[in-house]
Amino acid sequence: MATVALDHVTYIYGAGTPYEIKALDDVSLTVKSGTITGIIGHTGSGKSTMVQLLNGLEKPLSGKILLDGEDIWAKPKEMQKIRFRVGLVMQYPEYQLFEETVRADIAFGPKNMGLSDEEIEARVKDAAAFVGLDETLLNVSPFDLSGGQKRRAAIAGVMAMRPEVLVLDEPAAGLDPRGRDGILAGIRNYAAATGSTVIVVSHSMEDMAAFCDEIIVLAHAKVFLSGTRDEVFSHADALSSVGLDVPQITHLMSALRRRGLDVPEGIYTVEAAKEALRPLLE
Amino acid sequence: MKNIAFGQYYPARSPLHALDARMKVILAILYIVCTFLCKNVFCFGALLASALLLVLCSRVPLRIILRSLRPVLFILLFTAVLNVFLTGGETELFGFWRLHVYVEGVYHAAFMMVRIVVLILTTSLFLTYTTTPIALTDAIESLLTPLRWLHVPVHEFAMMMTIALRFIPTLTEETYKIMSAQKARGVDFSHGGLIRRARALIPILIPLVVSSFRRADELAMAMECRCYRGGKGRTKMTVPHLHVYDLFALLLVVAFGAGIVWLNRQGYGYTMPR
Repeated sequence: MATVALDHVTYIYGAGTPYEIKALDDVSLTVKSGTITGIIGHTGSGKSTMVQLLNGLEKPLSGKILLDGEDIWAKPKEMQKIRFRVGLVMQYPEYQLFEETVRADIAFGPKNMGLSDEEIEARVKDAAAFVGLDETLLNVSPFDLSGGQKRRAAIAGVMAMRPEVLVLDEPAAGLDPRGRDGILAGIRNYAAATGSTVIVVSHSMEDMAAFCDEIIVLAHAKVFLSGTRDEVFSHADALSSVGLDVPQITHLMSALRRRGLDVPEGIYTVEAAKEALRPLLE
Repeated sequence: MKNIAFGQYYPARSPLHALDARMKVILAILYIVCTFLCKNVFCFGALLASALLLVLCSRVPLRIILRSLRPVLFILLFTAVLNVFLTGGETELFGFWRLHVYVEGVYHAAFMMVRIVVLILTTSLFLTYTTTPIALTDAIESLLTPLRWLHVPVHEFAMMMTIALRFIPTLTEETYKIMSAQKARGVDFSHGGLIRRARALIPILIPLVVSSFRRADELAMAMECRCYRGGKGRTKMTVPHLHVYDLFALLLVVAFGAGIVWLNRQGYGYTMPR
């Protein structure tokens, strides 16, 4: 249960060279404690930079990253502690697996925290349960798993550290629909069980609509829109002006409405659409 | 980690960029020979001047070229110091305790420094700053073609080199990503003793090796899908041709070499021993 905030953060790649690229330009935002917040943006909008700033992998050129109101760069020597509190799952995290067994790999983070063996074992089991990894798979080499299982194991490796803020960069990228649903359900399980704040970066509007309480839209290195899911998705025109779109099901529903069908506005998921359409068919 | 300077081709339009890559390889070798032919102060003066002239011709900013000298700075100073103190001679400049510095030593040290600097400057100018890695490996393949008669797999060798060069930036980026991921899991690379730091590398190296194999597999598959089957009967999309100015450049460098030999005969001042 922790709040994360960015306070006038600017980050520039290759600062001082002719090739400099502004990734974040004077960005201020607050992620509410205990919510699942989505960060959406086009390629190059600064999403991935932002997640690396959140746990101190990168240092902002100016501005502050605040965790529960405290600047995470106040004591750079204790950055490790911050990284245990803000868990980061990078893009394609399955490429970071390295231990002999899945169990050992998930335990790697908690071991670095210096926890007791019993505590580590309990956390490994919990984390595997969150992501729906069968316990028999814990004794298998991570390199023998399927793509989707590897992804789950890697995410479990960060969840096992029980971070107060779990940050995931494109957790469902490159997975089939079933794999994607499994991963997203795992993240939801974690949030529900621990009450942690979750920040998910994605460019898939469908995932975001089904999954997030709050949404922050980044464009051109700045916060373009932010608010609850419904607030953000009600600005369909503004979204399309920065190359983003509302979910396809929303398009379908507004097309139906234009054709004279009496369906409500503000439908962003297939589930909600099912509920709205069923009475019309009966 | 982000500043690894390698294969730093500098795109520009210059006489050096326009030269045939094969000719540049030959010129680089001739230039190396020239640096070793130099014996006296005239020669080294001419050598340094010609290297600077080449830099001007290449239109690569001097600042960027000097960067390539930074890694050898230590070796440069080390050899200079050794040469100054260890070269014997007749005219003693000054001396204390058991160390004696002779005029010849100073000359010798200066010559060695010029030699190393020019060596690095010209080879990197010919082979990396003004030649793309692809053009360079193509050139090497073309120049080594005669070895095929001895059953040396020249094409395969060149292909391996191309692939190796191509993957350096990819693997650098990959390393950086894996390091970030493991740091996020609490690995600490900057604290602890030697053994702890070495142990911290295991979570980096294993994923890196695994992903290198995966990439190699994927690349092999992609190449096979496009019917790659080695060099036999393979034609090139761009066939290089020698132009008049390539020959002119060769002539210039050969003339320069002849000039160096002639200057050596003048026997002025300190002459480096054989």
